[in-house]
Amino acid sequence: MSLSNSLGTAVSGLATTAEQMSVLSRNVARVGDPTASRKSANLVTVPGSGVRLASVTRAVNTSLFNNLLNSTSNSAGQNAIVDALEQLEQTVNDTELNASPAALVQRLADALQQYSGVPSDAAFAQSAVSAARDLARSLNDATDLVQGVRSNADAEIAASVDRVNTLLSRFDTVNLEIVKGTQAGADVTDYLDQRDDILKQLSEEIGIKTITRANNDMAIYTDSGVTLFDVSPRTVTFQRTLHYGASTTGNAVYADGLPITGSNATMAVRSGRITGLVRARDEIAVTYQNQLDELARGLIGAFAESDQSATPTLPDVPGLFTWSGSPALPPAGVTQGLAGVIAINPLVDPDQGGDATLLRDGGINGAAYLYNADGGAGFTSRLDEFIDKMSTAQAFDPTAKISTSATLMGFASSSAAWLEEARRAGGEEAEYRNTLYERASDSLNKITGVNLDEEMALMLELERTYQASSKLISTIDQMLAALLASVS
Amino acid sequence: MKTTFISTNSISSATRLALMRMQQALADAQKEMIDGRYADVGKTLGFRTVQTISLRQQHTRLSTIIDTNSVVSTRLDVTQSALKSLTDSVQDFVGQMQAYQLDTTKAAEAQADAKSRLDALLDTMNTAFGNGYIFSGVNTDVKPLTDYFGTPPSAASQGVANAFFAEFGITQSDPAVANISPADMQTFIDTTFADLFDDPSWSTDWSSASDQNVRSRISTSELVDTSVNANEAAFRKLAMAYTMVADLGTANLSQTTFEAVIGKAINVANDAIQGLVSIQSQVGLIQQRVSDASERISLQTDILNKQVKSLEGVDPNEAATRVNDLLTQMETSYALTAHIMDLSILDYI
Repeated sequence: MSLSNSLGTAVSGLATTAEQMSVLSRNVARVGDPTASRKSANLVTVPGSGVRLASVTRAVNTSLFNNLLNSTSNSAGQNAIVDALEQLEQTVNDTELNASPAALVQRLADALQQYSGVPSDAAFAQSAVSAARDLARSLNDATDLVQGVRSNADAEIAASVDRVNTLLSRFDTVNLEIVKGTQAGADVTDYLDQRDDILKQLSEEIGIKTITRANNDMAIYTDSGVTLFDVSPRTVTFQRTLHYGASTTGNAVYADGLPITGSNATMAVRSGRITGLVRARDEIAVTYQNQLDELARGLIGAFAESDQSATPTLPDVPGLFTWSGSPALPPAGVTQGLAGVIAINPLVDPDQGGDATLLRDGGINGAAYLYNADGGAGFTSRLDEFIDKMSTAQAFDPTAKISTSATLMGFASSSAAWLEEARRAGGEEAEYRNTLYERASDSLNKITGVNLDEEMALMLELERTYQASSKLISTIDQMLAALLASVS
Repeated sequence: MKTTFISTNSISSATRLALMRMQQALADAQKEMIDGRYADVGKTLGFRTVQTISLRQQHTRLSTIIDTNSVVSTRLDVTQSALKSLTDSVQDFVGQMQAYQLDTTKAAEAQADAKSRLDALLDTMNTAFGNGYIFSGVNTDVKPLTDYFGTPPSAASQGVANAFFAEFGITQSDPAVANISPADMQTFIDTTFADLFDDPSWSTDWSSASDQNVRSRISTSELVDTSVNANEAAFRKLAMAYTMVADLGTANLSQTTFEAVIGKAINVANDAIQGLVSIQSQVGLIQQRVSDASERISLQTDILNKQVKSLEGVDPNEAATRVNDLLTQMETSYALTAHIMDLSILDYI
């Protein structure tokens, strides 16, 4: 061993410490970044000539990370559903406000009861007609709202799909850098962090799983197994539907040419925002619309007029409530969009030049349908018939997913309850999913994140090493100086 | 090699998340404390919302029935008092007639008395309440009876005059009515004259009321007739008794015929009294049913109110305690965060 050899070793110590210091300062710089993972410098001893930096690695925990991707997808999907439900809830609002279709159906029944108390008073007739008008309008508004929710969901799916495509192309760039860097033995840890961040963002939009291959190359599949990225990014496509009516069916999302949403999808994606939005658009909003349509059908039916001749020959026709298909009654089963077109018969509506007392007397559709044949102003049988019909159970279509036999009031309130229950269950589920996400994110952050105290302690250690190496160099220098002095 | 299992970032994010949750809970608890109801009733109750909505539906339904019942019972009160005044008047009439019966000199007075009572009867029967006539059945927009002594002469008085002339060949005001025998008068009254107060003459000449009474829903399940119409036998008899004395030339009749007419009028009036009393008791029964129904319904609404409260309500004290707890928790959390943030290794190196 020679002094110059020792000097070389001491210098290698200095150089490595500087490198370690640089890694340490990178850690400190990103201490507040939740996506940053802690980097550590790995040293190797070079026999006979000190140490050198072998590589930089980062703290990883693959299972926790996959767990995080999973819970991100689940939580984002559930949140999308909850958002849609919150928007739909505007149709019901606080029970105290009595603004739901259920409350308005009851208000109509009340107005009829009041009218039947004073059947000769035109003011009560008008108040009953205006209660009916409010109800028809609230159903129209609710339909607009439900279709608006569907249209919003559709737009968000399109935005989500765009984001997936952007993320995939960014992923492509970063992944390439990683593969090249790994092959060249360069420090790719910052790229790996970036790639993880892209994956996290991607998992918000769509449920994914990943496979890592040689040279840190990564392939991405949807949670159902459709390729999103394998060497090159696959295109995710979606055709937006701009205008939504009750009978409109939204388009499916395609990845790599395969449908990943909708009933035709054999490999339907199971989580992520896109799934949540599709569920809101194609299931929740559609079911709610069916309920509104059935309620509208029930109303038109309950207020329909029958032929009053001694031997009835004419068919029943819509009375107070009418629709675009009048004079036919809506057929049994869901007529899509009926709630959007239900209206007050203009012949009964004083605002449109109609006569509100036709409500009491019948005969909206001509003399054959006249109930109050004697023309008595105190005639109440027809009004009582309305009240009875509104509180008699009738059949509703099972696709409305609530009771198949209920009174109008019962059906309307079940519909409100169906929505509130979906909100409650959805809200609880979202809370659970969000907690899981927070836990997963927190655990991962705890394991892979930077701890400032640890870095500082390490810094002190490095400082000492640096001082010692410097001291060594100066000591060797003195020794060499002493040697040279004695020689000269 | 990583040696610690907590990162600086996760320390601060843990307290931040906890604080956000507490703030949300605090906002809800405050709202609940003020309103005494859940902050988000629908979301808290879920499928049980159906209960609160249908309780509210029932509540407004029953309250409406109480409202309409009060209209119905006022109408019944008016009916009852009209019936009472008719009964009083006819009882008085019977007393008067008994006094006049034996004294032809009072014939003109008797006739005048009957005339004014007939007028009063028609007036009472045409009582309007709100914007309808109470004795016209479902034809509430039509005056049930026409003014007998109006000009031009009413169909009813025409009918009587025609019948009289057809029977005796003279008008009622002809002094020759003194020659009508009691037996002839008796026959006239029992047949032709009585027919005037039966259908179809009654419904064409006298009454525009409908036989069909106004029906009202006085509770969720009870539909009852809540009016009396002018076509009831008692009213016809009443009109007949008064008309008999008022418009058969009473002032000029012979003593025996006069006695016969008055005697017949007293009989018919007595029948009418019985009829009126039975109508009054019927109306009384309906009044009782309406008030019973209202009372029952108002008890029900109280219960419904309680049920809605128990479903949607939050104990304000409990909410207040919750607010206090949350405030304490948040203060602790703030203090902790500040402490943790103060804790830095940099202060020691």
